[in-house]
Amino acid sequence: MAFLTLTDISKYFGGVAAVERFNLDVEKGEFVSFLGPSGCGKTTTLRMIAGFELPSSGTILLDSEDVTYKAPNQRNVGMVFQSYALFPNLTVGQNIGFGLQVRKENEAVIKARVDEMLGLIHLEQHQNKYPYQLSGGQQQRVALARALAIQPRVLLLDEPLSALDAKIRVELRLEIRRIQQALGITTVYVTHDQEEALSLSDRVVVMSQGRMEQVGTPFEIYNYPRTQFVAQFVGQLNLLPITGLDLAAETCLLAGQTVQFEHHQSRQLSEAPRLAIRPEEFRLGALEGCNVLSGRVETVMFLGAVVRLRVEVGGLLFSADLFNERNITPPRVGEQIEISFPVHACWLT
Amino acid sequence: MSSKQNFAVNEKRDAPQARPAPLPWRHWLGVGPFFLFAFLFIFLPSLSLFIGAFQDASGAFTLKNFADLSRPEIVDAYWVTIRISLVTAVGGGLLGFAMAYGVTLGGLPAWVRTALSTFSGVASNFAGVPLAFAFIATLGRTGMVTLILKLVFGLNLYDKGFSLYSFWGLSLTYLYFQFPLMVLIITPALDGLRREWREAAENLGATSWTYWRRVALPILTPSILGAMILLFGNAFGAYATALSLTGGFINLVTIVIGSQIKGDILHNVGLGYAMAFGMVIIMATMMTLYYLLRRRSERWLRP
Ligand SMILES: Nc1ncnc2c1ncn2[C@@H]1O[C@H](COP(=O)(O)OP(=O)(O)O)[C@@H](O)[C@H]1O
Ligand SMILES: [Mg+2]
Repeated sequence: MAFLTLTDISKYFGGVAAVERFNLDVEKGEFVSFLGPSGCGKTTTLRMIAGFELPSSGTILLDSEDVTYKAPNQRNVGMVFQSYALFPNLTVGQNIGFGLQVRKENEAVIKARVDEMLGLIHLEQHQNKYPYQLSGGQQQRVALARALAIQPRVLLLDEPLSALDAKIRVELRLEIRRIQQALGITTVYVTHDQEEALSLSDRVVVMSQGRMEQVGTPFEIYNYPRTQFVAQFVGQLNLLPITGLDLAAETCLLAGQTVQFEHHQSRQLSEAPRLAIRPEEFRLGALEGCNVLSGRVETVMFLGAVVRLRVEVGGLLFSADLFNERNITPPRVGEQIEISFPVHACWLT
Repeated sequence: MSSKQNFAVNEKRDAPQARPAPLPWRHWLGVGPFFLFAFLFIFLPSLSLFIGAFQDASGAFTLKNFADLSRPEIVDAYWVTIRISLVTAVGGGLLGFAMAYGVTLGGLPAWVRTALSTFSGVASNFAGVPLAFAFIATLGRTGMVTLILKLVFGLNLYDKGFSLYSFWGLSLTYLYFQFPLMVLIITPALDGLRREWREAAENLGATSWTYWRRVALPILTPSILGAMILLFGNAFGAYATALSLTGGFINLVTIVIGSQIKGDILHNVGLGYAMAFGMVIIMATMMTLYYLLRRRSERWLRP
């Protein structure tokens, strides 16, 4: 049986649904992310696990115990907030020891745990500083240590990196994953940043408008998006109108040029199906066994690791990402090019 | 590379900024009137007060005025003034805090907050003769409330030992402007308590009481004490309210100074100056305390 189970959880604020029929099993030690645009109900779901909001319906089981209506201070669940929320009047050490002090642990135990946590987050020298003396990244690591010091059953993080600079965000992301794996702690992580969700998680829950769109490993979510929302929200996606659809032959026409695709019978098609291709599937030139389009380069954007082209084919515009290499010559604007993508890389939605 | 090194390199706090060039003199022009006022009406009077305190009636140097401060009736005047200031600062402080709590964290509807802050803005400035008359008209010997209590509820306040013209009566009157001032000062401080602090504390197992004791109160204490010091000063310097209410029946320091400086019977300007000087010392001590406390809380709460 799963360690954390949310069954049919819904939450209404004054009749408006913030979360609807949310179902999730999280295994012990698993790292699960909630990914979705702002306002889709991620925080609300997390706060129901922490006990700060009560579900309008549904149940939450934690380690086989029904905690749906349990008070937040009875749950033994650790929470890290986007704004750090360190107690400004307490030092780093006192912040980390707060939960144990509340539990009336003896001083020696508290001191040992605080030292252990400071070691874990590499802030040993900062024990006696106040939060205002630390940088944002350091404060968030203290908040993480504070949440972990009580040995919570589950660790909850609500966009913990959103307030930090890009570079520190990436470093701290690795830190969080390292610590999570070292402790083997069950973790639920909320983010609107797909890169964070994909790089950190064992599984990702993609949410939209209070509903779960798809649950799966980062690989599944990215490569086999089950809804158009997921396909578009996670990663870049070209969605191109088609004509001359022949499902039996698995072919269609894209601006008059024939394209071969792979169709899965299970997939429901919309009224006016479109062809979906990720930008990174394209290669320059006419490759053997691939779909080949010929078009005109509209823009060339150099992004560092990739070169992003906007290509026009018979009035349709799409993005194509080419890997940057020092010895390639990227196409120029206005140039006529041939560009290929594998048959298995595109699908109809 | 260990991640420790990473953090050390990348998370340094901002380097100190270069010292800005001195401002051209015209940037000071706008606050010029303020400095002029401060010079004319704070600095000069303080100076003449300071000098006058060391002069006898003929203008010669003397320490007698300060020696006279130890006369029993003068000590009494300070003592009753300090007591009334303390009582109304603490009483008004607690009452104002409770009300501000009610409209900020207490979850009362928004209109209550609007109403309270409007009332507080007005009432905190209501003092002197009008305030005294308002209280005489309600709680005086033949005031409305006194009569209603007597006729409707059979409760005769003045028989029970209450008098508006006593220490407690005057304190009650002062409360009318003291607690609204507290509401005005402390509401922003309560707004500054972040919801996440409470939630983080609860999440770590704390009860509401533990949160208040370990987090909220320590954060608020400097503001609360600072506000109470302002209330203390507010009552300490009050003059017209007490004079028109009790007609000099309660000898506050300000009333004694008034009679020393312009009175016919007790005319001793030098002693009046020395007493005023004593008040300045007491208030300066209070303000220094306030400044130190505020600096501490602002340091914590620096964003
Ligand atoms: N306390 C609340 N009262 C009313 N509406 C709320 C409250 N909290 C959240 N909501 C609404 O619920 C929806 C989901 O919010 P939230 O869970 O914060 O989204 P996310 O964290 O994904 O950005 C939003 O439409 C938000 O406006
Ligand atoms: Mg959120």
